[in-house]
Amino acid sequence: MPLHRRDFLKYSALAVAATSGMPGFLARAATQATGQKTLVVIQLTGGNDGLNTLIPYSNGAYYAARPTIAIPKKDVLTLGSDLGMHPSLKPLMGLWDAGQLAWMENIGYPNPNRSHFASMAIWHTADPTQAQAEGWIGRIAEKIGDPFCASNIGSSTPLALRAAEFSLPSIEAVDNFQVKLPAGLEGAFGAMLDAQRGGEADYLVRATRQMLSNTQKVQANVGKYRAGATYPEGKFAAQLKDAARLIASGTGQRILYVSLGGFDTHAGQRGEQDDLLAQLASGLAAFQTDLERQGVAERVVVMGFSEFGRRVAENDSAGTDHGQGSVMFALGKGVKGGIHGDSPDLEDLSLGDIKYKQDFRGVYAGALTNWLGLNAREILGGDFKGPQWLA
Amino acid sequence: MTLAPHSRPLTLDDAAHLLRRTAFGATDAQIRALVGSEARTVARDLLNFDGATAPGNPFDPMQAATPGAGLQLIRAGWLFELMYGPHPLRERLTLLWSNHFVIGTDKVRNMPSITEYLALLRRHAATPSFAAFALDVARTPAMLRYLDNDQNRNGKPNENFSRELLELFTTGIGHYTEEDVKEGARALSGWTFTGGRGNQKYLEVPKFVFNPKQHDTGRKTYLGKTGNLTGEDVIALAAGHPATALFVARKLHRAFVSDVPSDAAVKGSAETFARTGGNIRAVLEELLSSEAFYASRAAVIRGPVEFIAAAVRSFGSPRMEPKQLLNLAQTAGKMGQILLQPDTVKGWDGGREWINDTTLLQRMQLAAALSLGGNAPKLEKPPTPLALLGTERAATVTALRGLSAKQQTYLMLISPEFQLA
Repeated sequence: MPLHRRDFLKYSALAVAATSGMPGFLARAATQATGQKTLVVIQLTGGNDGLNTLIPYSNGAYYAARPTIAIPKKDVLTLGSDLGMHPSLKPLMGLWDAGQLAWMENIGYPNPNRSHFASMAIWHTADPTQAQAEGWIGRIAEKIGDPFCASNIGSSTPLALRAAEFSLPSIEAVDNFQVKLPAGLEGAFGAMLDAQRGGEADYLVRATRQMLSNTQKVQANVGKYRAGATYPEGKFAAQLKDAARLIASGTGQRILYVSLGGFDTHAGQRGEQDDLLAQLASGLAAFQTDLERQGVAERVVVMGFSEFGRRVAENDSAGTDHGQGSVMFALGKGVKGGIHGDSPDLEDLSLGDIKYKQDFRGVYAGALTNWLGLNAREILGGDFKGPQWLA
Repeated sequence: MTLAPHSRPLTLDDAAHLLRRTAFGATDAQIRALVGSEARTVARDLLNFDGATAPGNPFDPMQAATPGAGLQLIRAGWLFELMYGPHPLRERLTLLWSNHFVIGTDKVRNMPSITEYLALLRRHAATPSFAAFALDVARTPAMLRYLDNDQNRNGKPNENFSRELLELFTTGIGHYTEEDVKEGARALSGWTFTGGRGNQKYLEVPKFVFNPKQHDTGRKTYLGKTGNLTGEDVIALAAGHPATALFVARKLHRAFVSDVPSDAAVKGSAETFARTGGNIRAVLEELLSSEAFYASRAAVIRGPVEFIAAAVRSFGSPRMEPKQLLNLAQTAGKMGQILLQPDTVKGWDGGREWINDTTLLQRMQLAAALSLGGNAPKLEKPPTPLALLGTERAATVTALRGLSAKQQTYLMLISPEFQLA
């Protein structure tokens, strides 16, 4: 195809117009200083089974409820006298031993919802009443006036990164994140974007200008990155590598968002979840090693969640149905390693599910206040206490 | 009549608008042919489709050497129909229903079951009975497998299908309780299928069976009704629930009227749905000839598959190599829409969710490949602004001056107007 890669500077006039052409908060954007610290959010899509992730291996009720799919005590990676990790998480043991891996036990929210979508929306908007239409990270972008303060690594933007007027960028792969306009069309392209429009057409113009600006920022520096670790195969690890690349090259996002899907283990859970947790752990271990080699490990923490946990008792398909309450995790040099919070009482259940003890918004609040230096109350719409998971 | 009709003869822009929404777009000549027609007559004609398919479809999933190859053939085969088939509105509706009664080929990898499911969606595309449609879908091995009802047994319920039946297929959230989900699962116990299980049997035809031994015959209470309810009963109750009319009407308005539909217009269609006992054809005939429909221009962001079908149909459906179609089906995936495999059982939300930096870049790349690239389809006549932009007065028209025909096509394909229907 007769496509020529063009110098990005040729588009700078179009891209600069991105800030002036956008309404409201975007006009303030360019002046915002970027922070030094980065939060990487990991979403485990589908409802990760917390009880088979952080395992109460000394609890008879756990084994009684799961005759087929429980993790045998001998396979558990012991963390303490009561709890241990799923064997697939072995690549994370080094971080645990170094005090850089935190587990937050028994996390949930009031009036739990067992729908994937409703519950995911609650985590994304940080609003259990489901009244908020914007994501919690989208609200950060609006609050600090920077439409590039966070990016999703993936092809579709999760609700968490959506704001009223726009969504934060999705970067499917850093290498492809650049405009290749065919030769001779720069002028016509600019004239097309400049034409007056309303409605959704105007939205599309604004989205295009924002994209031009974002791709320029990313491509300005990423060429300098050389991987400092060998990442495992697979999309999730490739996306973590892109996250490390963006951080190491100083692209400036304060939050990066990466997802791993497939945790909806209604049937044949052991094979499926074992494999997913192995992808999670090997990917994150490589990511952490890479950050160390790049000399940026001090300024990155990872925080992981899933939209819900699963029913305590297994079902008849060697799987588990949707539950409520689960574990969160965090890792990095800025993290206070250990288990935060008490484990659920497996003999005092609500409709077959554990009763959550810690509100996830308290965990978010920790990240916002103690890591990103933001006003958590403004973003979350209230004061939420949570575990002290940051060092 | 619950939606006000559009009472003037169709103008050029009206005709372009109608065909953008119901046929993925059309050529200049096809648009002009509808000028002066009466809205109701045209809507009725468009809905009067049969089972005819595009001749010469080169993709046969039953020839696949692996399940993965079979899925590629199914996707490319459907794309062929979307691009060349004689009934684009039927295909538009099939696309809509595949995003309503969602199955995912991440889990369902048996070729005959997917082919049967797609054929069923086509047959019911403008169904006279939404309840009959829901029941038929519920009994396809594809759905039984995707939402685990094949594992749902007496005393050992699996609630997955029962929950989505209410949450995503009929009433929507907020109209049922957790108890309804559990009771529904009991009623649906024993619905399963035989054959076609496992990776090796991806070409074996599976068959729905009711296993009375695994069915819970006890009393249940579902959506306020108590009795020895069966699976048929709960699907009829869910499909006939008043909330279902609104929920399905909203889906139709999302696809055909606006990404942000008006509540009043949705309510109008819901009333027609309720009055006709869930007759989708009647609802659509009224909707596609309504004032609300013709007043809502450029208000639906085209999804990736619509983008592709729209480009090719506006070009006059030029022939392409099978390899190109296989690639296009994969390109749709990169743009955020792998046919028959949305990220979750909720399907694609669409609208502004189709648009982000990565997908905009993909649209630009595809536009270049379809217009300027060495393998771009050969066109007898270049597509006009009316065909690609929906009106000869579009904002983009002024930017086309001085460009070659291919460059004009490229620029129009990446224009805001082309992304909208």
